[in-house]
Order: sequence, then structure tokens, then C-alpha cells
Amino acid sequence: MLKKLVILLFISLLSVQISHAEGDELPLFSGIGGSFSAVDADGKAVEFSDFEGQVVVLSFGYTNCADICPFTLGYLARLYSKLTEEEQTKVQIIFVTIDPEYDTPGHLKQFIGHFNSDFVGLSGSKEQIDYIVSLFQAKYQKLSVLNTVPTKNIRRVTPKLFSDESDEEDKASLYSHSVTLYLIDKSGFTRSLEYTGTPVDEFVSKIRGLINE
Amino acid sequence: MNNRRTKWHYLLVLLLLSIMNSVYADSQPEIVFEKFWIVAAPDVARSTAGYGVIKNKGDVADTLINIRCDMAMIMLHKTEITSGMAKMIHQSNSVIEAHSELLLEPMSFHLMFMDITPANFSEGKQITVKFEFETSGVSEVNMTVKANNY
Ligand SMILES: [Cu+2]
Repeated sequence: MLKKLVILLFISLLSVQISHAEGDELPLFSGIGGSFSAVDADGKAVEFSDFEGQVVVLSFGYTNCADICPFTLGYLARLYSKLTEEEQTKVQIIFVTIDPEYDTPGHLKQFIGHFNSDFVGLSGSKEQIDYIVSLFQAKYQKLSVLNTVPTKNIRRVTPKLFSDESDEEDKASLYSHSVTLYLIDKSGFTRSLEYTGTPVDEFVSKIRGLINE
Repeated sequence: MNNRRTKWHYLLVLLLLSIMNSVYADSQPEIVFEKFWIVAAPDVARSTAGYGVIKNKGDVADTLINIRCDMAMIMLHKTEITSGMAKMIHQSNSVIEAHSELLLEPMSFHLMFMDITPANFSEGKQITVKFEFETSGVSEVNMTVKANNY
């Protein structure tokens, strides 16, 4: 009798568990995301469809961003390290630069490598970047001249031939930009919008949910 | 009689103490720097951030009027997030009220080091920053560059 009761209780608990999991299923964000082409950190042309079959966490930023982008990449590295090695092969962390002029593929590769060399840095032409930004309904904006910094001493530009051009001020810009982390499923659909503040465990369990779909 | 005299003494000491206290209270802010560190910059970075706490333990407010660093151009910035967009805003003349603090942390207030030579901002390096307050004057703070484990 008691045994039966325990089994019944177990079954009812199980069904509650299952319905709970169903309630947690991530919705589909139509109109956010889609296929695009870009240039990877090795300078090769890539299509977003190349990542099909993998769960993707996509973010926008730029390497001259001292506060939020390094913090976000550090957070993503922490998140990534919570996944098992097998899970890591099924996940791709993508960082899309909004400053392709300064963030060349090689430059991005070094920057990303500082956090985790598995991560993918995407650059491209300004048109390509602007298209990706619009696909994800993201935004970026160059900050005012007051905030821009001359980088004469840092950027190693090839010497210009004409003396009047050498006066041209070489600026490193600062930008404001979207900080959303787009969680994308194996079929390329955006399933959740997260932030650097999302508790790591919560984010990891959402990623696991999509891996197992 | 004896008892009464002790009471008077007691009151007198209290009075003196409160006068002394008010004299000191009006005199100085007391600025203290705690837990400052700088994020180790990736090789290709041209800027990085520093974090910590500036406390005013005194009874009077003080204003941060200038920050200098021999190794970089430096500013106090604040990252503000409005409708999903992060923006860095330059902060000038930040007032630190009496018995309060300014917390510098990721995604909020930070020291912004710009125009840096990344080799100078690699792990383990020491950077000196000079903070100038209106009343308290200049304080030099040494900060260690650390890996960004946050
Ligand atoms: Cu900043």
C-alpha cells in the first residue's frame, strides 16, 4: 500500500516536472536575426548558415570598448567554461564588430583570443556590418568628437606619400552600441535575448535546452 | 556635594568633546581609495578600464576635479544602458558627499585609460594614477594590472 503511494507520488512529481519543462520552452523571436555574410578572423568569407547545427550566442561590440565589451567577453568565457567539452563543440560564441574599419580580422583574432580562442570574431565591410546590425534590430552610434581619441602613436599605419595627408588626424572612435546577447538555436532562429547580467547558471541551462532540442 | 561636582565635571567634558568634534567636523573631507585594479589589456587594445572604490570618510563633501596618469590619457567614465544600448559618458567634477562612496565597477563608473601602449598594461604591471580633489588635493594611487576574471 505504502509502496503504491510512493510510486504514485513519484509519478505525479514527474509529471509536474515535465509540464514545468514545457512551460520553460523558449519562444521564437520572429524578425530578429536571419542569414548574413561576413568575414571571419582569418579573413575568410563566412555565411551565418555555416553555423547551422550549433547553438549560437551572438553579441555586438568593438575592441576599443574598454568597459562593457571586455566585461561581456569575460562573462561569456565564464559561461562557456561551465559547458562540458562535448557541449562546447555544439556551441558557438560570436562577437560581431561594429567598427570594421579599425577591427580588421587579424585585430579581432588577437582580441578574441585574449578571452577564448574558440570564440568567433566577425568583421566585414561597413555594408555587411550594417546589414547584420539591422537584421538583429540592434543599433550603434559613434560618440561625439569630445569622446574621440587621437591614436597617432598607436595605430601603425603605413606612411603616407603626400605630406599634406600626413596631417590628417587618425582617430580611435568610441561607440554606443546594443548590448543584447542573442541566443540562437540550431536552425538559426533567435530564441532568447539575454544580457551580461543574466545569472550564468540560468543562461547555461537555456543553452543546454537548445542543444538538446 | 561630591556627587554634584562629578556631575559638573562630566557635563564639562561632554561640552568640550562636542565643541572639539564640531571644529573637526567642519574642517576636512577624508578621501580613501580602496581595491583599485586595472583590466589587463588585450595586445591590440587601445584602451582599458580601472575599477575600485573612492570613499569619503570625512564630514564634508569633496569634488574630484582632475585625474592624471603618465602612462595614458585618463578619464572618469560612466557606462549607461538605455533601451539595450550601452553608452559611455564622460564625468567631470564628481562630488563625493560626506560619508559616502563612489563605486567604480564594470558596466558603471570606471577609469577609462585611452591611447595606451598595451605592453604597459599587461598583467602584473603597476600604474600610478593621480586623483585631484578640490579640497583634499592630489593623491597618488598605485594600481596593479590583473587578468580579467571579474
Ligand atoms: Cu569608458
